[in-house]
Amino acid sequence: MDIFATLKPAAFHILLALAERDLHGYAVMQAVRQQSGGSIPLQTGSFYRHLSTLIDEGLVIEAPAPKGDDDPRRGAYYRVTARGRQALAAEQARLTGLVARMKKLNLGAK
Amino acid sequence: MDFYVFLLRLYPRGFRERFGAGMRRAFAQDLAAATARGPFSRATFLAASAIHAVWFGTLERLPRGPVMRSFFQFDLRAASRSLRATPIVTAVALVSLALGIGANTALFSILNSLVLKPLPVRAPEELVRIDDGSWTNPIWEGIRNQAPTFTAGAFAWSATSFNLAKEGEVDRVDGAYASGDVFQTLGVTAAIGRLFTSADDTRAFGPDGPVAVLSYRLWQQRFGGDPSVIGRSLLIERHPFTVVGVMPSSFEGVDIGRVSDVIIPVSTDAWINGKDTALDSRTSWWLEIWMRLPSGKTIDEVTLALNAARPGIRDATLPKEWPAKFQDRYLKDPFKLVPSATGDSALRPRYAQPLTVILFVVGAVLVIACANIANLLLARATARRHEMSVRLALGASRARLARQLLAESLILATAGGLMGLAVAQFASRLLVGQLATSVSTVTLDLSPDWRMLAFTAAVSFGTAILFGLAPALGVSRVAPNEALREQSRSVTGDRRFGVRSALVIAQVALSLSLVVAAGLFMRSFVSLTTQPLGFDPSNLLVTTVDMRQSAATPAERRALYERIRDAVASVPGIRHSAISQITPVGGSSWNGQGKVEGGLEVSGKAAEYWVNPVSPGWFETYGMRLLAGRDVAATDTETAEQVVVVNETFAKRFIGGGNPIGRVMIADADFPEARRVRIVGLVSDAVYRNSRAGIYATAYFPFLQGGGVSSSFRISSNIATDRPSARRALASALTQVDGRLSYSFRDLSDQVRASMAQERLVAMLSGFFGALALLLAGIGLYGVTSYAVNQRRTEIAVRIALGATATSVVRMVLGRTGWLVATGVIIGAGLSYWAAKFVGALLFGLTPRDPMTLAMALVALASIGVLAAWLPARRAARMDPSSALRD
Repeated sequence: MDIFATLKPAAFHILLALAERDLHGYAVMQAVRQQSGGSIPLQTGSFYRHLSTLIDEGLVIEAPAPKGDDDPRRGAYYRVTARGRQALAAEQARLTGLVARMKKLNLGAK
Repeated sequence: MDFYVFLLRLYPRGFRERFGAGMRRAFAQDLAAATARGPFSRATFLAASAIHAVWFGTLERLPRGPVMRSFFQFDLRAASRSLRATPIVTAVALVSLALGIGANTALFSILNSLVLKPLPVRAPEELVRIDDGSWTNPIWEGIRNQAPTFTAGAFAWSATSFNLAKEGEVDRVDGAYASGDVFQTLGVTAAIGRLFTSADDTRAFGPDGPVAVLSYRLWQQRFGGDPSVIGRSLLIERHPFTVVGVMPSSFEGVDIGRVSDVIIPVSTDAWINGKDTALDSRTSWWLEIWMRLPSGKTIDEVTLALNAARPGIRDATLPKEWPAKFQDRYLKDPFKLVPSATGDSALRPRYAQPLTVILFVVGAVLVIACANIANLLLARATARRHEMSVRLALGASRARLARQLLAESLILATAGGLMGLAVAQFASRLLVGQLATSVSTVTLDLSPDWRMLAFTAAVSFGTAILFGLAPALGVSRVAPNEALREQSRSVTGDRRFGVRSALVIAQVALSLSLVVAAGLFMRSFVSLTTQPLGFDPSNLLVTTVDMRQSAATPAERRALYERIRDAVASVPGIRHSAISQITPVGGSSWNGQGKVEGGLEVSGKAAEYWVNPVSPGWFETYGMRLLAGRDVAATDTETAEQVVVVNETFAKRFIGGGNPIGRVMIADADFPEARRVRIVGLVSDAVYRNSRAGIYATAYFPFLQGGGVSSSFRISSNIATDRPSARRALASALTQVDGRLSYSFRDLSDQVRASMAQERLVAMLSGFFGALALLLAGIGLYGVTSYAVNQRRTEIAVRIALGATATSVVRMVLGRTGWLVATGVIIGAGLSYWAAKFVGALLFGLTPRDPMTLAMALVALASIGVLAAWLPARRAARMDPSSALRD
């Protein structure tokens, strides 16, 4: 995948949540729901579809479980790859550019 | 949680293995959160999860290519958006579909578990059973000894019930005697402990003494799933058995519809029943014989081998006391094997046919509902002609538009199917509850399997085509330029009106047949319930007394019987009581063949009479009238002259009517034990087995002349007090006579009701679905008439403006609908006439082409038709022509 292409909002939020630290599936879902303030209506079905796409594209990999968590029911932990961080950086650059352009328009002041 | 494991199966295996654990956890946590918000949240969440699973599971199974993407990401999305835009139409369609598909799936799941599901054992397709009933233990032992040479295992099985009570009133559970190799042959292994083997199935018992195996259900219910049950002692028929194991939850015995909660080896019958044991009897037919075909052998080859062994087995087990004629037949009768992969069930002959008929009925209701949905979608499509023509004008292909409409139907059908599955889970349990009666319980495994899912999927997909095709085809008739004349008015109406009329005609035809069927079944049930029984069951309490565990030897039983009789006679609150071997509609029967000296020459079936040994006062207890002669008397003992009281049907059958008193009857004419019996009384007719079977020629022998006092008999009491206190009084009287007696109580009126359970079920269901069909057809008629009236608004306004009266407008509208109804009714009458041949066997007291029922159905449909058409007609007649013409 072209890592400089625009990320889908849900994928972006997932990467962002994982960039902070390794998380298991449900924790990622919860983090995205909080980060996006509910604007990304992530359900189990849609979340795992996004996740599998991110894994297939090499942006996320499975990570070993941290010490102290040996609950077999929680499912795997996930981690952002270097490529994933590049994609986030590219997104940052894109968004920064957009924000800079918007600032010039001075939309906030009224 | 099982629900989600089930939903996960919708995903491809690889995906499931990769993410399954995480998804289950996420689901569980979200479910907990939704549950905390309340039951509605929970239900919504579960429904949404199901839809998501179908959606994303399907997506994961599809290649991620552009064509699929276009269908899934654009067509389906556009379709679901447009469905959400018309919430009422969508909701009505969904509810009709959910109910229709749910009813179908519910019935199918019952039929599935009753008839189609194979036994949950190893290679069930290899199982066969010797056909037609039960066999004696000597025959079983003969076959068992030879079986290893031509089978891959054989076992004997006898479904029965066991009393687990320590004393007093019985505590019955369903169970079975099974031979030692049953579990090995079936390939069933224990959930805990061990299952018994042939080492346990000997009269001297195995190493653990007499052993019993429990069902998983009984283990959970009575022992709370406590593993320490293994090794514990369990009283079965008051004999201490050692529990050695629990069967897996999947296996509940080879009888479908009943759970064998306790299984004990066949040979323990000798221990339980002592001198009454059936083990050595050559005339006690109580064991079913099952076999497993060796791999590669066909059922015919094994039948051949079995019959080659037959002469030896039959010779060695010949009932010596039988007359030559019967012995000859015994020796010649071949063994026949039948495939038994789906087990055996007493419910099958009783319910398979009625349930199949009802499945057709609910199928027809679903078709009627589909017609309504199709009409609804057609109306919606008409309202969207403008949108469609704009899109066509802007360059959309017709195929693309049709694809979106099909996508809408697909979404409706899928959601309806999923909701239908949920409805079915509920409805099928409700239905199975109706199959059970106070007399017998029914337990069917209704868990969804691939058959049920395939059925639901096929039904949902079929309905999508049924109701989705008409609107999709309609798109091809939309002209792009229609967008330009959207505001124009037409006088001629709409070509699609033809499709809608055809749908309504089909609805009327189908619902007429359903109403006819419902009428037939309900009238059958009524004529069955109003059939005179010949006795009044309302105050009769039947006590079954079992003397097997008392200390009395068979020789002492007569004295015990007399003590019981006298004790019961002095119980307060009982008007009359009497003892008999058999009680009407009690399920057991006893028949013989005979003739009356100087009477009619009868043979075969006509020489058959039904026997009931009764004590003095039995007729009085049942309210039967003594028409001539006398009742059996206390003096009619074993040593006195052999006498009998017969009923009117008996007198008619054997002497052609008239007074039979003083004649001599030859009972069991063909047997060595044939005896001459003097007829001393004539009583009024009464039902013997059940109302449907009618009145049998019945011979009431004095209880003491009925071939000895057997180990169990029934006391019928006509009670004057309430049932619980009568039961208590009888129980204490019996316990005082002998503390080791076991007994159980049953209200005769319950048994009478239970004997009509099948007819009640069919009448109830067909009545319900017939009414539903009528309602749906009414809605369909109303919809199509309102639509027609709307289309012809201008025309009608012009007519009114030109002086047409309200009556003539109503007549015009009604005439149009009347034509639809008349056509539908004619087709429906033909359909009913043809379908009649399938329901004949289920009717009682009327013919399947009963003209009265047809007339009633016609009236019902005509009334619904008039009502459905009259409402829009009246609206049309009251319309203000000037405002209609201004529009």
